[in-house]
Amino acid sequence: MAQGSSCWGCFQSLVDIHLKLADILPLLDIKYWQAVVDYKLKDLEGYPDKSIAVGFYEGMARTEEDIHLLKVMREKCQTLISFGSCSCFGGIPGMANFSDIEQCYDTKFRHNKTVNGGSVPSVNVPPITDVVRPNTDYTQFDVYLPGCPPTSKLILTAVTALLEGKPLELPPHTVCHYCNREKKETPISEIIRPYVGKADVKRCLLEQGYICMGPSTWGLCEGQCVNKGATCRGCFGPSPPIMKDHGAATISMLGTYAPIDPDKIVAQVKDPLGTFYRFDYATSHLGRIRIKHEEAKRRRK
Amino acid sequence: MPEEKTIHIDPVTRLEGHGALTIKLGPGNKVKDVQFNIGSTRFFEQFLVGRPMEEVPRIAPRICGICPEPHHLASVKAVEAAWDVKPPPAAIKLRRLLIEAKQLSSHAIHFYALAAPDFVFGPFADPSVRNVVGVLKHLPDVAVQAIKLMEFGQELCRDIAAKAIHPATAIPGGMLNSLKEEERDKWLKAVPAMLDNIQKTVDLAKKVVNLYLDVIMKVAVTPTYYVGLSNKGVLDIYDGTIHVMDPSGKMVADFEPEEYTKYWGEYVSDHSYATHIYYKPAGYPAGVWRANTLARCNIADRMATPLADAALKEMRALIGRPSHHTFAYHYARIVEMVQAAESIKKLLEDPDIVSTDVKLSDVQPKAGEGVGVVEAPRGTCLHNYECDDQGIVTKANIIVATNHNIGGIEKSLMDAAKLIFEQDGLKKLKLPQPLVKT
Repeated sequence: MAQGSSCWGCFQSLVDIHLKLADILPLLDIKYWQAVVDYKLKDLEGYPDKSIAVGFYEGMARTEEDIHLLKVMREKCQTLISFGSCSCFGGIPGMANFSDIEQCYDTKFRHNKTVNGGSVPSVNVPPITDVVRPNTDYTQFDVYLPGCPPTSKLILTAVTALLEGKPLELPPHTVCHYCNREKKETPISEIIRPYVGKADVKRCLLEQGYICMGPSTWGLCEGQCVNKGATCRGCFGPSPPIMKDHGAATISMLGTYAPIDPDKIVAQVKDPLGTFYRFDYATSHLGRIRIKHEEAKRRRK
Repeated sequence: MPEEKTIHIDPVTRLEGHGALTIKLGPGNKVKDVQFNIGSTRFFEQFLVGRPMEEVPRIAPRICGICPEPHHLASVKAVEAAWDVKPPPAAIKLRRLLIEAKQLSSHAIHFYALAAPDFVFGPFADPSVRNVVGVLKHLPDVAVQAIKLMEFGQELCRDIAAKAIHPATAIPGGMLNSLKEEERDKWLKAVPAMLDNIQKTVDLAKKVVNLYLDVIMKVAVTPTYYVGLSNKGVLDIYDGTIHVMDPSGKMVADFEPEEYTKYWGEYVSDHSYATHIYYKPAGYPAGVWRANTLARCNIADRMATPLADAALKEMRALIGRPSHHTFAYHYARIVEMVQAAESIKKLLEDPDIVSTDVKLSDVQPKAGEGVGVVEAPRGTCLHNYECDDQGIVTKANIIVATNHNIGGIEKSLMDAAKLIFEQDGLKKLKLPQPLVKT
């Protein structure tokens, strides 16, 4: 198990299989897992190629070290799993591509409420990449387990299949398939923000006017947010085939649900980029154009 | 033997996040420099700009998957402060239950999975055994009590917030989801077994403290400032004013969260992407402070619940107040775990916890600025946003718990490195026989 730039939520979700840990962990011969065992990067680099049966890679590639770790994991592992939405699609930190890297540095190190006049650290830290490219640009994975994070149940299903040497078959449904709310196929007259009013707990949130990405999102979560009052924000990425444009799919879905004058809809949807592309900007068509734009800008400098 | 030597430890293991250590030794093993190198950053403060304020509590938790609840709640409190919104009292109780549940599971994973293997197997046991899998194999009963505590905390978070990792239900004006009566009943029924596991954890911790007392009292005893929330002298992780204690134990500041820029400095080091937060009036590095369990226990006059308060008194009798003993962070973690467990019981017994009056329906965005603060397991977590009249973020400043501790980690690492390399202190330490021999 290796981690690029990430929050470690995928790791926590694995821990959250609870007592099943007692069955599974002792079956494993752990070769690298920095949260658990004291093996160092040099240990991992020293193993023979393809000597590790299964590797999990959590996180996105924000630094040169992340990219190196990703490549080393590919060399050493027979099966490499893209673990979580950051690893699959760039995830929430992929939204850094909305800005130029210099703007990012300004806000983080140079000028903000509590920093003033700092410089970008450069001693004993790996260089930061100018733009977030998805992990799939650097290497190939054998299995994708999206989710922010993948649910503990999904992880257990995957690990069990791997231990038994069976293929991993995942249901293709969207979030709506698992949602307990009633859909009446009524058009939306107005888009409203999630703090407005009190939602009817029995009705489809989208049909009440709250933007919900359930219809375009892979339902491996089994509808955990929508069944607890919160709209879907698309954290499992698009339904299979997963490398499609999630945001474009959501916008076209919204067109069907909300036959509202385009000018009004533009005014009512406050942040289309940060809502429809929150987890998968880096792998989307739109995000690809931005990556090319940023890289061309760098080359010119 | 070469005159100068650099020791590079990469990665630092059994912590959450990306870290490496660099220790530079000069002639005669003199410790010249230590660095804690945090090797990544993701620029949340930049990409939160442009997002609607109410969406930020659903984005910001991705800063940390181990402690997303504190981020979720500090974030929603910041939005509510900016929009001048006061959620219903039952919503606050639900949020308190959420953060206490997280405190319980986070402290359990830290104590059992990250820290305990060194104490159980001894610090020099082989890495292949000295880990949580080793605990599972050699001490299955201990492992099961750990897993059950983590399960209690994480699953309770899930019932409240839809997801334990990256919670979804706190919204400006309250909560999108109330706790159902049958869920409350289920958790109340599970409380006695949970408290029993807490007692076993306390017993184990006391045993470890006694065995390793020489290490606690001698390694990395590092005077620093301390920062943390306290609510009229009581340790409170959801609300209160921010306190600062100086290395002598004197309280030098007590202020409302929105005044933080007067007291909090953020130092950008050249060797870490994580900035170092410090006590601004004292300057850097003199004002280096630490947050987290021991800091909160140093700052609080007393705990909020009876068993935890007794545990705090017992700890103070042994190591004093303020305690600068870095290894006592584990001890303070146990004291706080007791408070989390007792608070969970108390909140579950409160009839309001199943109230459905948990969300306002007339919230309106307005231009302004808000600061939200809670205590994350590893320290004070602060979110500060500015927004326009549509409620769109125009500026964000976030101070995460860990950054309070980086300067302190380097200071304590320097003390530990001097003890080991300059004074050959490792040999003089009284180390016990491992609880489990391998």
